[in-house]
Amino acid sequence: MEGGFGPRVIFELPGGIPVTETVTTTWIIMAVLTIFALVATRRFDKVPKGLQNVIELLVDMVYKLTAQTMGEDKKAFAPYIGTMMMYLICANLAGLFGFRPPTADVNTTMALALLTFFMIHFFGMKRKGVGTYLKGFLQPFPVMLPLNIIGELATPISLSFRLFGNIVGGLIIMNLLYGALGGLSTNLGISIPVLQTGIPAVLHLYFDVFAGVLQSFIFAMLTMVFVSGAMD
Amino acid sequence: MEDANFIVKFLDWLMTFDRKALILAASAIGAGMAMIAGIGPGIGQGYAAGKGAEAVSINPKASKQATLVMLLGAAVAETSGILALVVSLILLFGNPIVTQEGAVIILVASALGAGISMIAGIGPGIGQGYAAGKGTEATGRRPEYQSNIIRAMFLGQAVAQTTGIYALIISLVLMFANPLVKLL
Repeated sequence: MEGGFGPRVIFELPGGIPVTETVTTTWIIMAVLTIFALVATRRFDKVPKGLQNVIELLVDMVYKLTAQTMGEDKKAFAPYIGTMMMYLICANLAGLFGFRPPTADVNTTMALALLTFFMIHFFGMKRKGVGTYLKGFLQPFPVMLPLNIIGELATPISLSFRLFGNIVGGLIIMNLLYGALGGLSTNLGISIPVLQTGIPAVLHLYFDVFAGVLQSFIFAMLTMVFVSGAMD
Repeated sequence: MEDANFIVKFLDWLMTFDRKALILAASAIGAGMAMIAGIGPGIGQGYAAGKGAEAVSINPKASKQATLVMLLGAAVAETSGILALVVSLILLFGNPIVTQEGAVIILVASALGAGISMIAGIGPGIGQGYAAGKGTEATGRRPEYQSNIIRAMFLGQAVAQTTGIYALIISLVLMFANPLVKLL
């Protein structure tokens, strides 16, 4: 528990740039997703079978969700939303496999939230024209300008910290629980980690599976709502 | 005259303890304070449970769907209680403040502040519980729209969580990356 619950530095790049667990775990997730995509999309048949069924279902679901939330005309966002959702779900579930979730690092979540932030304003300007879009900040009264700007700046902050806070909360509680169970079994004189196998499973189910999947879904949904809100 | 001043007396008395004892005492108070946030989820989940009973009585056929929405909503409403528990447990079992350098009074205040900040969890707890209750009620009335209702409920609850997350961030900053110590 030395140095808090921050990510460990795995190695340093020349020039003294530290590479943390967050980055290496993200590489692993990238590799897994890429290999999965390559294997799954090979040899497509007219009549789907096996893995192709699963993939088609997945893609269909993402497109349907995007069309439902953003409107039929903004269906083109589906690949981005789907990619982000898959990455977030993998990242949040990484805790189950003994990795430190990359989303328990504010750098990851802030980067994703900034992507959303720039998307909101870029597509808002593209759809409405720069002038009309900027005029929107003077609504309903010109006096509201500072408030509107603060509100826009709060979007990425709340978006990133929501994901970060939920995941890091789960991470810390699991760390403390494993520490406590380890201490307990040492005190009871049990050398085999029996206590650490069964008891945390229930909590993993809540903190990693339920909260992780829910927060990925919420992040993607809020991105869709904000972007389509700026465009309409 | 100085003997009459209660605050001076109190501070003098506090200074008779050593540094570590003071910080640990403050952490104990902070850990307790943090759990006051439990009021929120308690009220919120109670409301959701009440609405669940109401939904089942309105439409007994949809009792399964209504119960599912109630449980999901109540699980999200629990978040601020869990975040308060995280802060409380850190203060109790993984206390990072004890080993920090700096003026003792700032560290004591930080331990207290970290706990007090989590009281904000009352708000999201009640609000999310209210949303869960309304979602349950809506599912009882129109069970065929269950998935849409759940989606809207989750989105709203996530936004309602924001202040609670801010409180957690401030609390974690006070414990792990205290910027005030360096200012002195």
